[in-house]
Amino acid sequence: MTRMVKGYLTFLYRSASLAFVGDWRYYLWVGFLMIVCLLGLNAYAKQFVHGLVITGMSDQVSWGVYIANFTFLVGVAAAAVMLVIPVYIYKNEDLHDLVIFGELLAVAAILMCLGFVMVDLGRPDRFWHLIPGIGKFNFPGSMLSWDVIVLNGYLLLNVYICGYLLYCRYQNKRPSKWFYVPFVFVGMVWAISIHTVTAFLYVGLGGRPFWNSAIVGPRFLASAFTAGPALIILALQITRRVTAIRGSPTEVLRREELGVSRPATLADLDVLACQIPALASVPTEIRQASLPGSTVLDVPPGTTVARQGEMDSDAFFILRGRTTVRRYESGGYRNLGTLGVSDLFGEMAAISGTPRTADVITDENAQVLCMPADALHKLMRDREMKRRILSKMAERIVITDRAILTLRSIVQISMIINVFLLLNEVFKEFYTDSLHVASSKYLYFGLHGYSALNAWIWTAIACNLAAMVLLLLPLTKSLRWLGTACVLAIVGIWIEKGMGLVIPGFIPTPLGEIVEYSPTLNETLICFGIWAFGLLCYTVFLRMAIPILLGTLSKANEPGSDLKGSEEQLEALLQSSIPRRRTVESSRASLTHVETTHP
Amino acid sequence: MTRRNFLRTTAVAASGVAAMAAVLAPLRELTDFPSLDQFLQKHYQEMTPPEIEKVLERIAREVERQYGLRPHVRDLKPMNGVEFVYCLNLTRCVGCRKCVHACVAENNQSRSPEIQYIRVLKMPNGTFDMEKADHNYAPETVPQEGSYFMPVQCHQCKNPPCVKVCPVKATWQEADGITVIDYDWCIGCRYCEAACPYWARRFNFAKPSIPKDKLNPNMSYLGNRPRPHGVVEKCHFCIQRTRAGRYPACLEVCPTGARKFGNILDPESEVSYILKNKRVFVLKEEIGTLPRFFYYFDV
Repeated sequence: MTRMVKGYLTFLYRSASLAFVGDWRYYLWVGFLMIVCLLGLNAYAKQFVHGLVITGMSDQVSWGVYIANFTFLVGVAAAAVMLVIPVYIYKNEDLHDLVIFGELLAVAAILMCLGFVMVDLGRPDRFWHLIPGIGKFNFPGSMLSWDVIVLNGYLLLNVYICGYLLYCRYQNKRPSKWFYVPFVFVGMVWAISIHTVTAFLYVGLGGRPFWNSAIVGPRFLASAFTAGPALIILALQITRRVTAIRGSPTEVLRREELGVSRPATLADLDVLACQIPALASVPTEIRQASLPGSTVLDVPPGTTVARQGEMDSDAFFILRGRTTVRRYESGGYRNLGTLGVSDLFGEMAAISGTPRTADVITDENAQVLCMPADALHKLMRDREMKRRILSKMAERIVITDRAILTLRSIVQISMIINVFLLLNEVFKEFYTDSLHVASSKYLYFGLHGYSALNAWIWTAIACNLAAMVLLLLPLTKSLRWLGTACVLAIVGIWIEKGMGLVIPGFIPTPLGEIVEYSPTLNETLICFGIWAFGLLCYTVFLRMAIPILLGTLSKANEPGSDLKGSEEQLEALLQSSIPRRRTVESSRASLTHVETTHP
Repeated sequence: MTRRNFLRTTAVAASGVAAMAAVLAPLRELTDFPSLDQFLQKHYQEMTPPEIEKVLERIAREVERQYGLRPHVRDLKPMNGVEFVYCLNLTRCVGCRKCVHACVAENNQSRSPEIQYIRVLKMPNGTFDMEKADHNYAPETVPQEGSYFMPVQCHQCKNPPCVKVCPVKATWQEADGITVIDYDWCIGCRYCEAACPYWARRFNFAKPSIPKDKLNPNMSYLGNRPRPHGVVEKCHFCIQRTRAGRYPACLEVCPTGARKFGNILDPESEVSYILKNKRVFVLKEEIGTLPRFFYYFDV
């Protein structure tokens, strides 16, 4: 028991220590976020002293940009489910590793939500009145009390699932399905519920016709499932760029320079089959089908067969000889291990289309079977073979283009639904043309000469439509354009369900008065502060999670069992757990996380 | 720990503390930080009579300290067999706004920022569309040809949306039909303001300020005692008067007799007579709030 607790504390300590180290870009980014956080905190200190009077809010428009951000971010948090559903219901392999990115984003988003609710309270000192059991909780009467429960519940669920999966990975243990899959499924329903409840906050108000519309709930979900995955796409692209998860492309090695080659034959596969039982059971016609394009190379010692960063789609089986796997990290090369007969490497690039993550160099005269991606795919038609190859991959973290493109289809479809639902709402309001259209008129065209929101909403509509069109075009299969479309979608939806939903609900007031709202500088600074805080959390979460997922921070490389080692030891530990800064030391534990497999 | 490491860590920690101190500097201006008693004070409905007595005493002390005047703070309970109802005669109302100001004076509303419970709408004849209302007409010119006036305040609904949405039960309906607020329990989320279809609720965006000589010392806990900043307030049918058998201030001041107030459970009351015999209507009936505030016409 004590050992378990100690082991867990060591895990927490080592992960947390990671947050304090990184390269200069990391320090720059974290430093920037901290400064914005502090500015926000300073602005909040002012608001705490003077009251909400220093915001742009009034009795007429009694909620502003805080609640607008809150609403948007609940959607972002809920959208993590859009990664979970494909993986756990449709068994999508590409997204498998990325679920944790979505869930960590959900955690950060919920923290921001709680922040925005806190700064919106007139009496933050009385927040304890909201705690069930201690305070006086109006449940189930008030939708806000539902929100308190579902948001905090969702936070706990995601913290638990992420924490459990990461700790298992850290220990190099297979997670027990009983310990997390039920929670994953509860989390799916829960995610839908947090955003539905948030929509019901508005929908339930009979005195505000602009909100009192059944379509608000579905609209919230559609827009959340657009903006959330769009944000995840951006986060993944940035993560890929700045971490070792994907190196930068280098020149592709030419096969003819490697050594003597000849077309592969069935006999070569028979040699492999002696070592790989899964291959032995593959029917001959499938083996035959994988031969065209495959070659056998005789490679002299010291030859680089696969190079880190190259964009190449061949996979290699070793028929004879040994090779060394090494990875270049800032400061120098690091040996990751040795491969022998029947080992497979390069399959990650073949399957995912990502650049190679390590060099493979022959130690002696070797013979390798070079198999193009489509040949490997043919071999994977055999279920057993596919399982063997993919199960090895699933243990690694890899952000594939295919995963990002899967998210693209989600964003694409959600955006179409979102625009469609918006159209429904607009039709109902303007075609009926009852007195209830006043808020919509104010929002889109201005009312009695007041038009502060028109520029906002038309920007949102332009962004949404542009994003939708871009997403429908094959153009966005290129990642740069996809990024653009995602940014447009996020901006469009932020406005649409933030400023475009919360504010017009108050204008005109139930007594027909028009008082406009725009956030003050102080209010805006507080918002930036909370966003910076959320991004800081997400950055730190990823900073801790990625080395664990990559296997560079694991129980296997704990420095002894004593936590209170010397400073130097700690320093070395920290250095060794960052993919980008490690210099020496090889760890057998990391081997499974390179492009190798031992079928 | 090496000397260099120590110096580095100290430097980072020191600049962190300095930055934090600078960032939190505005907090030095904080004057009314809640005392431990205030912080831990229970919900009104959960306090025992002695606990309420203690709280009333504390409020009296605070008011005395702040305004130099010993107030009479009471906790009046609803009377048995009483359900209050308000009736407003639109034929008689001239839009003089005397009710608005009498209310401010009686209920110790903040003068800056200005809070008023009653909003009088100047409506063009022939319409009921409140979007056409003038909220900022000049009172010297009333009554006005071609317009009628419609004062709106808390309707003390029987099915109050504000009570339903409050996450902490800081607002509730009393036995005599008055929806009250525990100003010491409200967290200031303003959900009730969003929920109210009559725009009857007001929020203390800043610390309320009342001139010392304007303070009404006749106070009650759920009524007109000075409110803290950051909480919601609204019309409570002058609970400190009506529960002691007096009329609300707005009614007393009304020069035309447009305002009627009484016990609907008493068949002999004036309001019972009006509801039985006049052409009575409520605002926004379709929302189903069942107001206890009725409008009627004489002619």
